[in-house]
Amino acid sequence: MSENVTRGGGRKGSSRRDMLKGAAGAAALSVFAGPALAQAAKEAPDLAKLATDGKLPKLAERVGANPLVIKVDKVGRYGGQIRRGLRGSADHNGILRLVGNQGLVRWNLAFTEVLPNVADKWDVNADATEFTFHLRKGMKWSDGKPFTADDIVFCIEDCCKNTDLYKSPPSPLVIGGKVGTATKVDETTVKFTFASPYALFLEQMATPLGQHPTLFPKHYASQFHPKYNDKVADLVKAANMSDWPTLFRAKLGDIEIPSRWGNPEKPVLDPWVIKEPYTGGATRVVMERNPYFWQVDQEGNQLPYIDRLTFNISQDVESLMLDAISGKLDIQERHLDTLQNKPTLSQNMQKGGYRLIELINSSAQQVQIYLNMTHKDPKLREIFANKEFRQALSLGMNRKEIIDIVYLGQSEPYQTGPRPGHPWYHEKLARQFTDYDPKKAAEMLDKIGLDKKDGQGFRLRPDGQKLFFAIDVIPTLYPDEVDTLELVKRHWADIGVDIKVNTIERALYYTRGDNNDHDAAVWPGPGGLDPMLDPRDFFAQHPQGSRYAIPWTLWYVSNGKDGQEPPESQKKRMKLFDDARATADQEKRGKVMKELFDLTADAFETVGVCLGVNAFGICKNNLQNVPLRYPNAWSWPNPGPALPQQFFFST
Amino acid sequence: MLRFIIVRLLWMIPSLIVISFLAFVLIQLPPGDYVTTYIATLAASNEVVDQNTANELRERFGLDQPMIVQYWKWITGIVLRGDFGLSFEWQQPVSGLIWERMALTLVLTFSTLLATWGIALPIGVFSAVKKYSIADYLVTAISFLGLAIPSFLLALVLMYVAAIEWGQEVGGLFSEQYVNAPWSLAKVVDLLHHLWIPVIILAVSGTASLIRVMRANMLDELNKPYVTTARAKGLSEFRLLLKYPVRIALNPFISTIAWLLPNLVSGSIIVAIVMSLPTAGPLLLQSLMAQDMYLAGAFVLLICALTLFGSLISDILLALADPRIRLE
Repeated sequence: MSENVTRGGGRKGSSRRDMLKGAAGAAALSVFAGPALAQAAKEAPDLAKLATDGKLPKLAERVGANPLVIKVDKVGRYGGQIRRGLRGSADHNGILRLVGNQGLVRWNLAFTEVLPNVADKWDVNADATEFTFHLRKGMKWSDGKPFTADDIVFCIEDCCKNTDLYKSPPSPLVIGGKVGTATKVDETTVKFTFASPYALFLEQMATPLGQHPTLFPKHYASQFHPKYNDKVADLVKAANMSDWPTLFRAKLGDIEIPSRWGNPEKPVLDPWVIKEPYTGGATRVVMERNPYFWQVDQEGNQLPYIDRLTFNISQDVESLMLDAISGKLDIQERHLDTLQNKPTLSQNMQKGGYRLIELINSSAQQVQIYLNMTHKDPKLREIFANKEFRQALSLGMNRKEIIDIVYLGQSEPYQTGPRPGHPWYHEKLARQFTDYDPKKAAEMLDKIGLDKKDGQGFRLRPDGQKLFFAIDVIPTLYPDEVDTLELVKRHWADIGVDIKVNTIERALYYTRGDNNDHDAAVWPGPGGLDPMLDPRDFFAQHPQGSRYAIPWTLWYVSNGKDGQEPPESQKKRMKLFDDARATADQEKRGKVMKELFDLTADAFETVGVCLGVNAFGICKNNLQNVPLRYPNAWSWPNPGPALPQQFFFST
Repeated sequence: MLRFIIVRLLWMIPSLIVISFLAFVLIQLPPGDYVTTYIATLAASNEVVDQNTANELRERFGLDQPMIVQYWKWITGIVLRGDFGLSFEWQQPVSGLIWERMALTLVLTFSTLLATWGIALPIGVFSAVKKYSIADYLVTAISFLGLAIPSFLLALVLMYVAAIEWGQEVGGLFSEQYVNAPWSLAKVVDLLHHLWIPVIILAVSGTASLIRVMRANMLDELNKPYVTTARAKGLSEFRLLLKYPVRIALNPFISTIAWLLPNLVSGSIIVAIVMSLPTAGPLLLQSLMAQDMYLAGAFVLLICALTLFGSLISDILLALADPRIRLE
């Protein structure tokens, strides 16, 4: 908890000495201590000037009494701008990932532990139903107004629970079908209460979808809320909108909609604030430093180091490659991290003046094959539901060839489960049936009654029809999956199983899944680094993700009201997961999850190909404090938790 | 004439109603809706939409209602209140989004038009007059080349050369410092600086075909007796050409005005996307891809209305330019 040191505005010298006692980073610091000391002001020069002119409060007042102290590798220098690229449509999360990651808590770099962020510290009661967050004294919104417990209570009680605004409350705030309650204890203390144990709440609060508590500034947002402004109808009319929730959303956005970045007037807690908004016609987005940002480095320098962010909007993401090669992007992984781009980007490193950073895939599986075990055709359902059939298919796949050809050797045979190196790594779940043994596969298929063949050598189903099914894949999203499936098709033809690689448009893919119309589908299998947050491959959990049995997931999420009743092993796992979610103690939770993984390994529902392949990004050589490698995930919205506010330009 | 114009205007109303309905149906035809596309787009970057939010979005946008109800809401909004609705994606009024991009689109289209006509007309006349000369063959060869090269390919090659070989900034219509600056002389100069690449790219293919059309028309006219008569009367060759055959040969150009107007919106989409031009085309494509109903619908409606107006205008102009048409 070294990041959690409380320090007052006037103890700068001593805090630096304290810090030097720490072994970590001492060597690096001694080099940088010189320039850092020469920098008298602990804030950006333009802010210092404003403060001296009296146009801005003094630094100590702006960051508050108890700012978050980030222990940086190298103390940076102020200035410069980060240039990144965005796509013209639906790319608002490209901004969120860099900037908008200021929830109550945040992830550590390894994606294993939750650290203080907006909340300075917290207490959890024994059965994990009450969470008390202690906020930072004197913390401010980007317009200088105080951020207090009232804001959080407003966000939860007046916004998230308002049925006009959210028909049903956001799911991170819900456990066991009941939404939690936020109450103010005092100015800087807020308590969340849940009806049932919810140990995963902290982890949820560290993910982007858990940002609701810090999303809406009460002093600004309440003017658009009928509870606080009975004349809101006039505002709605003046803006030519249909109702107040529409106006509220247009002004304040939501976690992941574009209008979150469309209103420069909205106060935020982010390190940079919007100057040129992300709107329909925009060709670029510009953000400038938040003078009230509540984080400092270990020497008391206010973050962020970098003055501004410029996102250029390209209609055609391919042109980002051109920008990267000609050195016009400072840090970028979005839209150019496909394997095909890697050779070109590696070749041009010198020319573009950048280095490559490794992004650890948070997925377990690169190409998870989901056979629809709840297929509408009873014959196919019976075959797919047969575990030995799936095992035979797995053995009949030449994974080495796929990895060499499609993934340039950058992976290893794998099924599913937490990635190697994760504390919960499960050998059997990960590696069973990954050998290539077509002979044994053929024998297994013979044994389960698929021993008759047609003239071309393809097996016949018990009802005499050819054994044939289509695997849905979206070529525009995952071109590598199409290549993989083409190879799998060849391998499986050798053991007498005929498939069609069904390349379809993405919306159709989803519609077919929702209607349970698919024979089989592929998707990258998540849960490699975040098994608790995305367990869709471990049991039928995700109504749009656990594609081997969508009706079972409906049964699970509706508490048995909709869908189809799953088999016993699934029910046990659903129960185990609910237990794990209620267990705060990491070790105990690990034990429960091991039981769940044992059952998953036995059931062998999904057929995997290889371990999720790491992606990569580019980073300009002079951009410092960027970790060499970090996770690539949505729950860990890279590069946000690597703290872009402490990146700086060395030249 | 006045009667003709009024009748044509009245006919536009039922046409527009039918078109608006067709447009709405067509946009809805692809499987899924805005919300599915939205979820799928985010999934492409590994991002997940909260389940509750997704269901709620569908309801909030009225996507769970039957299509005919959605259409009725949309069209009554336009007819009764002039309200084109709110873009699903941007939560901004559709009309604002469209007009924001129209100004630069106009500049680009008219510069391209001027460049195209300015190059094509003289060359077409020239190659018709000097039929089968070396120069004619040369021009013909070049114009066929221009026709054959797809404009997006030309754009890519030009961008690559400009970016890699000359280190010049490509893409967009402004340098960085001017993008959101208020209009000034310097900004206009900067615009001209960037405008020439897209104008050349767009003009190349248009020029090539126009040269062929102009040449063919001129060849038809040059042998007519009235040309010989004029020449016999001692008119200078230059005046003779411009005053008689060129005027007649221009008819097809005037007809093109009909599809020139809709081109304002939908023309040059690919080039605009490749070059990141802030024109209307990319926004149209984007809205169609995202199934952003109201934005896409408004665009399609606008294109149709412009087509109808365009053909009316070109009919009127044709009648003015060519007495023979007027007399019919």
